Amino acid sequence: MTTRPPKIGRDFLRPDAPAKAAGVEKYAVDHYGENLLWAGVRRAGVPHGLIRRVDAAAARSLPGVRAVLTGGDVPGTNRQGIVHKDQPVLCDAKVRYAGDPVALVLAADRETLRRALALIEVDIAPLPGVFTIDDALNHDAPRLHEDHPGGNALLQATIEAGDGAKALAECDVVVTETFTVPIQAHAFLETENGIARREEDGRIVIIVSTQAPFRDRWEVSHALGLPMDGIRVIAPYLGGGFGGKDGATVQCLLALAAMHADGRWVKMWWDREESFQAGYKRHAARLHYHLGAKADGTLHALHCRVYYDTGAYAHLGGEVMALGMEHAGGPYRIPHTRIEGWCLYTNNPVAGAMRGFGVMQVSFAFESMMDILAARLRLDPLEIRRKNALRVGDRNSAGVLMTSSTGIGACLDAIADHPLWKDRAVWKAAAGPNKRRGVGLAAVFNAMGYGRGLPDTAVAKLEITPTGRFVVYSGVADMGQGNATAFVQIAGAALNQEEGMIDLVQPDTDRTLPSGSAAASRTTYTYGNALIRACQDMRRRILGRASMLLLVDRLEDLGLLPGRVRHPATGREIPLAMLAATLTTPERFCVYQYLMPVVPDPPATGKAFKIGFPHLLFSYGCHLALVEADELTGETTVRDYLAVTEAGRILNPQTSVQQVQGAIAQGIGYALHEDLQVEGGIVQTDDLGKYIIPTALDLPDIRAVFAQAYEETGPFGMKGLGEVASNGPLPAIANALADAGAARIFRSPLTPERVLASLQQGPGM
Amino acid sequence: MTVQFNLNGRRIALDVDPDRRAVDILREELGLTGTKEGCGAGECGACTILVDGVNRLSCLMLAAQLSGREITTIEGLSREGGTHPLPEAFVKHGAVQCGFCTPGMILGAAALLQENPAPTRDEIRRGISGNLCRCTGYQKIVDAVAEAARAIQEGEPSS
Amino acid sequence: MRKVFLPRDMAELWSAMADEPAARVYAGGTDLLVAMRAGTVVAPALICLERLAELQGVREEGEEIWLGAATTHAALLSNPLVGRHLPLLVQALRTLGSPPIRNMGTIGGNICTASPAGDTLPPLYVLAAEVELQSPGGRRRLPLRDFIAGPGQTRLETGEILTGVRVRKPVDANCHRFEKIGQRQALACCIVSMAALLTVTPAGVVASIRLAWGSVGPTVMEAPAAEAALTGSFMTRENLHRAAVFVRQAVAPIDDIRASAAYRREVAGNLLLRLLPG
Repeated sequence: MTTRPPKIGRDFLRPDAPAKAAGVEKYAVDHYGENLLWAGVRRAGVPHGLIRRVDAAAARSLPGVRAVLTGGDVPGTNRQGIVHKDQPVLCDAKVRYAGDPVALVLAADRETLRRALALIEVDIAPLPGVFTIDDALNHDAPRLHEDHPGGNALLQATIEAGDGAKALAECDVVVTETFTVPIQAHAFLETENGIARREEDGRIVIIVSTQAPFRDRWEVSHALGLPMDGIRVIAPYLGGGFGGKDGATVQCLLALAAMHADGRWVKMWWDREESFQAGYKRHAARLHYHLGAKADGTLHALHCRVYYDTGAYAHLGGEVMALGMEHAGGPYRIPHTRIEGWCLYTNNPVAGAMRGFGVMQVSFAFESMMDILAARLRLDPLEIRRKNALRVGDRNSAGVLMTSSTGIGACLDAIADHPLWKDRAVWKAAAGPNKRRGVGLAAVFNAMGYGRGLPDTAVAKLEITPTGRFVVYSGVADMGQGNATAFVQIAGAALNQEEGMIDLVQPDTDRTLPSGSAAASRTTYTYGNALIRACQDMRRRILGRASMLLLVDRLEDLGLLPGRVRHPATGREIPLAMLAATLTTPERFCVYQYLMPVVPDPPATGKAFKIGFPHLLFSYGCHLALVEADELTGETTVRDYLAVTEAGRILNPQTSVQQVQGAIAQGIGYALHEDLQVEGGIVQTDDLGKYIIPTALDLPDIRAVFAQAYEETGPFGMKGLGEVASNGPLPAIANALADAGAARIFRSPLTPERVLASLQQGPGM
Repeated sequence: MTVQFNLNGRRIALDVDPDRRAVDILREELGLTGTKEGCGAGECGACTILVDGVNRLSCLMLAAQLSGREITTIEGLSREGGTHPLPEAFVKHGAVQCGFCTPGMILGAAALLQENPAPTRDEIRRGISGNLCRCTGYQKIVDAVAEAARAIQEGEPSS
Repeated sequence: MRKVFLPRDMAELWSAMADEPAARVYAGGTDLLVAMRAGTVVAPALICLERLAELQGVREEGEEIWLGAATTHAALLSNPLVGRHLPLLVQALRTLGSPPIRNMGTIGGNICTASPAGDTLPPLYVLAAEVELQSPGGRRRLPLRDFIAGPGQTRLETGEILTGVRVRKPVDANCHRFEKIGQRQALACCIVSMAALLTVTPAGVVASIRLAWGSVGPTVMEAPAAEAALTGSFMTRENLHRAAVFVRQAVAPIDDIRASAAYRREVAGNLLLRLLPG
């Protein structure tokens, strides 16, 4: 533990790390409770159908079974959903994917629960399924949501800028390609879980692994017809989230179970297979691109049509696609664009938020297109990117004026100057027998915050205790990304206090204040901005009280030092412990609400997006992948990797590198291995032996460097960087394979099988 | 049945069903929730414990198999209030993010360093290849294990 | 609740098997307990062999090496006899599962699971391994290739267990090569693997060659025609390409979530090219 106040811009060790490394940190899953009941869900098992009957008689009569609940037992609307309330807590009439819950069981132990779930007889009359993007586009396809006006299109939207697609005719060269990406799973190690109880006063308390405790409270309230103040949600540190715990997983089910548990704790913990079958996913997508340029490589026009498979329920599907569309043109100046999107209901697992929220999909397309275009024009792939890179004062491909830090150019420059880039020919020539080497680039960006229409806000709460310590009440969950660390660092720096004097309370709807979800690369920016201002208020309040106690009549003559206030002119000091004891309770708290700025004059496009479009602030990155492929097997190895990131000022280099390396690890998994296969609505890769995430032997050391900038609106100049780096690996590796002489691959992941075929096919356009 | 074994240096006897999984005994009967479960099928390593000093998976071990063994969980890695170079190095090198893999990872690394006190980076990667981490990309974990190996070699007191 | 037996000697084992004839026998649990979790195996009782001393260890017996069935993969990897005489098996063991899986799983378990993807099987086939089987009624020996009857099937009789594996030391071989293609570098189920044991003359002529492939058929696959084509030939790219055609004819892979049959067939042949010196 440091003994001096934390400094902004220097490594600051995570205060959560010691307890986690000692195994004593209590995650949601580590809560049990006396006389515990176990709750579990019987799932539909069929992807589409009408419920004829759920017979729970045998299950109910099993000794140790406390209750079996079905759709009819759900009070309230029995509907959850962040934007559209279309997802039942327990299905009452229809099932729309195999993971849909049809019955909830409470039992005395896990074995009884397992047996009871198996005893429930579910009779579902099957309906024809909608399993692919083409199925969903077919007007004759069965409709998942009969009352949805768009049919199986949850959302159809268009972004247009300049002259739109017409301008393709003015281009000297137009390249046209189609890309396909699979479903990705978050595969956090702590699967979806929580524990809940009805207190004696009737309130429901839920301790849950969640990215959005305040929204959970609202979801439970709505779905179960409970008053908001009758629900308390507590969000301990998460064992990973990455977007998959942004939305109701176990929350409503647990609250419902608690209503039938007579005050006993009820625990629900999805096993790994259940998490794969029923948890949220990253959208599979198909992306059709036409990119046009002038002969000198100046981008001129883009027309693309993107299709996102959103699965059975709306969840955040429309918003995910909206962000993908907003990024469809890359971090480039393209004066004329037309970007059309279809977000489609299918009977596949529900797709939603995942790090790189819609952007990872389009990044594969636009960065592959940049290399294809460069090859067509015989231009250097780095130079064509530099030539078109966004700068302040440009409009991006969604027509939004870039007014704040826009550092893609600096990222590209840093790559250009790096030995890995400059010496790439030597490295490539050194490939061993049966090996081919290639080097690939990807320039990426990622918006921060919720975008227009959904206020991105956080309410910081800061306390000075009667003994002169400080408590930061965080309203935003920490799923591992390190925002809790940032809050302690920011408070320590802003208050000039040692880390050991600052305690942190994790989100709890009773104790902390609504601050939005842990999502959208926003947590440190939004809550941090609120916290700095709360600290400024606190500082004034402390100095104000000190002025009274020390008889100093100007605040600027006082200094707030670690553990004390000092009057330098006289050397007199008062310890904070003594000062704090004189404060009344209301004086000990400072609360500040911050609201993220938005695009002041949004372009007159994307009208179908009710919320979340457009965005003002973006972080940028340029990645370089050095890749080796085996000519005999198609196995692809990333030998070296460089990522340059611009995310404003780097507050904490160590945690920033963590975010970049971790995002790239997930991105390399997405590029090479990860493919959640679904056949007829049933997940085939439903365990960690079939759904392949990288081990320590599958990843290289990753060089993470920063092109620092200063974001005027950011806390100490920072911008969020949790997501941007996840967008780079797939296109960078695909470009490297093409550089290695393989035929370009348009479908990911880049499996040995696909790579072998493309190596055998040889170079092409 | 009564299962007797040494747990983190203490002798214990438990009356449990012999076919319950070791991970459930540790977490539910003994409250040692530092041992995590991520998959239940031997594919993630989160439930790693040391059995007679060797890293094994407590999700694929039954209670009966604990009998007579010396079991070390993450809670017992640092004995008598001292510290151990591995968790210290994990903290210092930023090897912890969400932290859910961390206990198993540290125990896997501890077993590796028992067998190979001065591993190369590749050997470290191989040694922890049964412990999945979804947050870090492993690099800082490798840094931390390398530093802990140096610290142990140099005989730094576990202060 | 099920009974779990931990016999310490053969007498205790036979007694447990007599008490619970339907009990399932395991050693490391890395296959059986996973199958039980998945519900594909139901076990009314369990017998764990991890403490049975007679099934542990490695012995040199004349021209043969004996591997105890309940010896873990990790114990085999660190055994000097295995390291000296069976480098092919060592290469395969290094790709099996992960360190904790290797600390738990045993060679006997890998054989009795009889998966076409079992990592130790192709090396044991080319080493012409024999299995030792024992029951209260006696012992018998069987070539491994006769013991394995199909995917997940063996000729283990009721009341019988696998006690050990015997391998003749490959004294003449001067090239031992195993390669496995998985979906990643650890914790990987085999997509295709090849084990090769060769004697090559100083002039570069193949004096003898034994080859076997994993995950390209219902059991380990062999390609006598490819072996015949290479025996007496120089190790050239052309000759290996020619032999690879026979390999692709000999294998019988299927499509699954990990790879297509076509890819497995292609790569089964391609892996021969890895034998090219330099």
